Amino acid sequence: MRRLAHNRLLVLAVGFVALQALLAVFAPIVSPHDPLEQHVLARLRGPGGTYWLGTDQFGRDVLSRIIYGCRASLAVSATAVAAALLAGGTLGLLASYYRGWLERIVMRLMDVLFAFPVLLLAIGIVAVLGPRNSTAAVAIAIVYTPIFARLLRGPALVICESDYVMSALAVGASDMRVIFMHVLPNLMSVVLVQTSLLLSAAILVEASLSFLGLGTQPPTPSLGLMLSEGRNFLMLSPWSAIFAGIAILFLSFGINLLGDVLRDTLDPRLRGER
Amino acid sequence: MFFRLIIARLVDLIFVLVSVSVVVFFMIRLIPGDAVAIMLGANTEVTPERMAGLRARLGLDQPVVQQYLAWIDAALSGDFGTSLWTGRPVLDEIAVHVWPTLQLTLLSLLIGAGLAVPAGCLMAELRGRLADAIMRVATVVGLTIPSFWLGIVMILVIAALAPSVQALGYVAFSDDPLDNVARLLLPAVTLALPILANLSRLLRSAMLDALTQDYIRTARAKGATERSVVYVHALRNALIPFVTSVGIMTGYLLGGAIVVEQVFAIPGLGRLILGAIAERNYPLLQATILLVTCGFVVVNFVVDMLYLAIDPRVRA
Amino acid sequence: MVRNALRSIMVAGALALPVHAASAQTLELGIDQSPAGLDPHIVTAFSSFMVVNGTIYEGLTAIDKDLRIGPGLAESWTVSPDGKTYVFRLRRGVTFHNGAPMEAADVVASLKRTLAKEIASPLATRLAAVESIAASDAQTAEVKLKEPSAPLLTSLATIAIVPRAFESDKDSLQRQPVGTGPFKFKEWQPNSFIVLARHEGYWRQSLPKLDGVKFNIVPESATRQVGLASGQYAMLPNIDAATALQLKGKPNLRLQETLELAYSLIGLNVSKPPFNDPRVREAVNLALDRQEIIQAALFGAGVPGGPLSPALRDWAVDVNEFPCYGRNPAKAMELLKAAGHAQPIAVTMTVLPRQDIKDIAQVVQQQLNKAGFRVELKTPELGQFIQDWRNSNFDLFASTNAGSPDPDDYFYRTFRTGGSTNVFKYSNPEIDSLLDTARATVDAAARKASYAKVQRVLACEGPVVHLAYAQLFSALRGNVQGFEIIANRSLSSLVSVSVAR
Repeated sequence: MRRLAHNRLLVLAVGFVALQALLAVFAPIVSPHDPLEQHVLARLRGPGGTYWLGTDQFGRDVLSRIIYGCRASLAVSATAVAAALLAGGTLGLLASYYRGWLERIVMRLMDVLFAFPVLLLAIGIVAVLGPRNSTAAVAIAIVYTPIFARLLRGPALVICESDYVMSALAVGASDMRVIFMHVLPNLMSVVLVQTSLLLSAAILVEASLSFLGLGTQPPTPSLGLMLSEGRNFLMLSPWSAIFAGIAILFLSFGINLLGDVLRDTLDPRLRGER
Repeated sequence: MFFRLIIARLVDLIFVLVSVSVVVFFMIRLIPGDAVAIMLGANTEVTPERMAGLRARLGLDQPVVQQYLAWIDAALSGDFGTSLWTGRPVLDEIAVHVWPTLQLTLLSLLIGAGLAVPAGCLMAELRGRLADAIMRVATVVGLTIPSFWLGIVMILVIAALAPSVQALGYVAFSDDPLDNVARLLLPAVTLALPILANLSRLLRSAMLDALTQDYIRTARAKGATERSVVYVHALRNALIPFVTSVGIMTGYLLGGAIVVEQVFAIPGLGRLILGAIAERNYPLLQATILLVTCGFVVVNFVVDMLYLAIDPRVRA
Repeated sequence: MVRNALRSIMVAGALALPVHAASAQTLELGIDQSPAGLDPHIVTAFSSFMVVNGTIYEGLTAIDKDLRIGPGLAESWTVSPDGKTYVFRLRRGVTFHNGAPMEAADVVASLKRTLAKEIASPLATRLAAVESIAASDAQTAEVKLKEPSAPLLTSLATIAIVPRAFESDKDSLQRQPVGTGPFKFKEWQPNSFIVLARHEGYWRQSLPKLDGVKFNIVPESATRQVGLASGQYAMLPNIDAATALQLKGKPNLRLQETLELAYSLIGLNVSKPPFNDPRVREAVNLALDRQEIIQAALFGAGVPGGPLSPALRDWAVDVNEFPCYGRNPAKAMELLKAAGHAQPIAVTMTVLPRQDIKDIAQVVQQQLNKAGFRVELKTPELGQFIQDWRNSNFDLFASTNAGSPDPDDYFYRTFRTGGSTNVFKYSNPEIDSLLDTARATVDAAARKASYAKVQRVLACEGPVVHLAYAQLFSALRGNVQGFEIIANRSLSSLVSVSVAR
């Protein structure tokens, strides 16, 4: 019974994420309208009719903009998190494998980056590089690098000191071989879980940056930007802001739920079974 | 042994603090556009000589390294300079803005952590059932709901339901304590939701973790009821990670406050930082980010130390 | 050391807490931005101008709601026949907020302060023609010019008179302004509010009617609107059409509107292709439909603009007389072809980070893309925008310009070769000579003829594509009386405002 409820949750999460990923990938086919086409006479409409979710202040189709916005949001956050995983993961792994001064230097540098509140550092980096889609990705990648490094160092330490790694080293396996054949595979579950949780958070950071005008630039559809533009017309027609917010929530929610369920699946201690 | 560990951590802490000050100072100067240009506004008539004059007046014509050394030297003796715009000492400005943010974050922490304990216990007790699954999905929603959006929706709802209620802005506690708390309630709830979600989840898993331990089995074997096992034995054990992660929340709160203060017109540190970035108010921005970051680092340090003191396993 | 810092935080925090409760006759306003300082000679940004102009500070002359020049602190003046000497008779009984009487020495000190190098005032160029300033007696100030300057009286309205003690004081006025206006500065909590209190010794009898004015700084538009609707704020001054539309018809609210002096524009960099070719600049004009821009971005609240605001009835040429103002994409594309450009021409438009301008830019982009261009938008942060603008680092940009009641003030610095805000690098000998002549001409009809010619040339092939003049709105609670909206965003009419109970 419990397993069943659990599997249902997994199916729900996977389905949710898959649906959004498909929508994003096939945005040009799925969108009912051109997300940039302005129809001034049909602006600020509520949901219903030709425009299922209504129109924004230029009469652009809200649904199409949300679909394209999810695509942009996913692209930025996924690229950023992948880059952070690569950089932070490598640093964390090397630090825990070689220990000594390398570990000390790497982890202190990570501490410095980690010392800043996430959004604050991201705002600072974007301010330096100039507000664009790509710089938002760079900022998120930099902010998340120390988080990955810290998250992976702990489990990696345990694995590096485990018996099978020790015995692999004893039979003369090279460093690279040990890292790739023994340490890395054992980290996969941690990586999988943390990546999805951080990806979910990255979507919110990207939306916050766009909301503050520091991410995607108009007229390119972006969820945070739609919310930011829509809030100027809240009393006339709140729909574009409301739907954009719900879209951000759904996107972040699905991926977070997936990570959450994965954690339970991969870590038997947390299943609540005695 | 324990003492040496603390010394080592202190050395690390100082290294981090110094590096942070360097990063803050130089990052701010890398931001394109400068205070002088903003002061003059877009499209005013001004000659390059006038710009240079104004820049010299603000001390922005010195080499950057020299500016940094002068700044850090004065800062160490408690002088963070004056705000470029109002000419008031930076510390005074920060002091004015620190109270609303402190109040807001404390109130959110109170709401979030306060509700997380019963929620987490309930989830642990109902583990594996449908209600548990629903509550977990709810916590994921709480964790992923964009706070700036939630704030705007709340304002919209208030305007629709009670158009004549004056619920926005900030009233100093000394002016009207009741009004002060009343007006902070909406933004605090907005900010508290992710904390509630996060902490209740954490509590749930920590308690489930505890339930597999030997001493719980012993308690069960001695005939303790399921309720008392969950609420007394498991909860007590789970409170350690709970308390330590409250420290980590401060970072989130400071970030979240930036956006929430903007929406609810609260004159706190978040507004101060965004405003200072927009105005290129270097002394103010440097000092604010430095103090906020140091606060964050120190809170985490203290939490780490507490953790060391409580949990002997970590010391090894 | 750290403890000292901490202690000063505590002390300052304790001091900051007690704030006096506002009395019933304090007008609560909601504004979106903190002013960037309150020294009238240093900070010229809109956010500061609105707070200090006509409230804290006054000039020798004053601009009324019809944008005409009238007496201010100077009761009257005479101009010598050669147009080079102005003698100002000062009003009697004017006192500064610090209690000192306003005399000719203060006028001299204020003008000298504006011109002083150490003060580095951006307003100095408005007094570029001034040769010397002297006080003949306590009530008479004499200004001598190097050459006649028709816009001098308009310029003087924007130069605040401050006590002579501040002539060499660079910093104090930024945070402790002292002027002669109806309200004196009381308190400024950055990011929160600015409070002005009634100036008891104000020279106009039984004015101001209010006890004080409080500017509440509220960045979020929806929050300001809800605040006005609930009565927390009595007034939202100088709001755009989108905000006004949302407040329209709400109970107990009133809207005032006027055609704004400021206008939206597209600036073209004429120092490099493609906009170095006048045909390409004309093509941009032909590609645009200004009515559609007004409909889409300004919610219909505005009029198409030429080089001068239609609000300046004495000067502006009717836009229907400009041949390039009718939309004609086919002709635009022909011109681009004739200029030898392969279409679409890829250009980047830098956009001022303000909501109405961002909206306008998106409509302009779509129109240009249908007429042989491919426009990419870039919205930098304000500091970056200003830097790019100043360094002519753009293909084209979308922005707004404050406008001025006198044509010379805008034209000369913007379109004259080497003008101080000629960031377009525009140079046209015909325009130069027309501007030089008009500046030295005092005869109104002759000036008007010169500026009409200037407008006709600039409208189609100038470096600036003038888009639209928007309606400017102020929203008031029903019980606020006596306010009059002014096209240059000044709130000087607050002096006669009262709040009915």
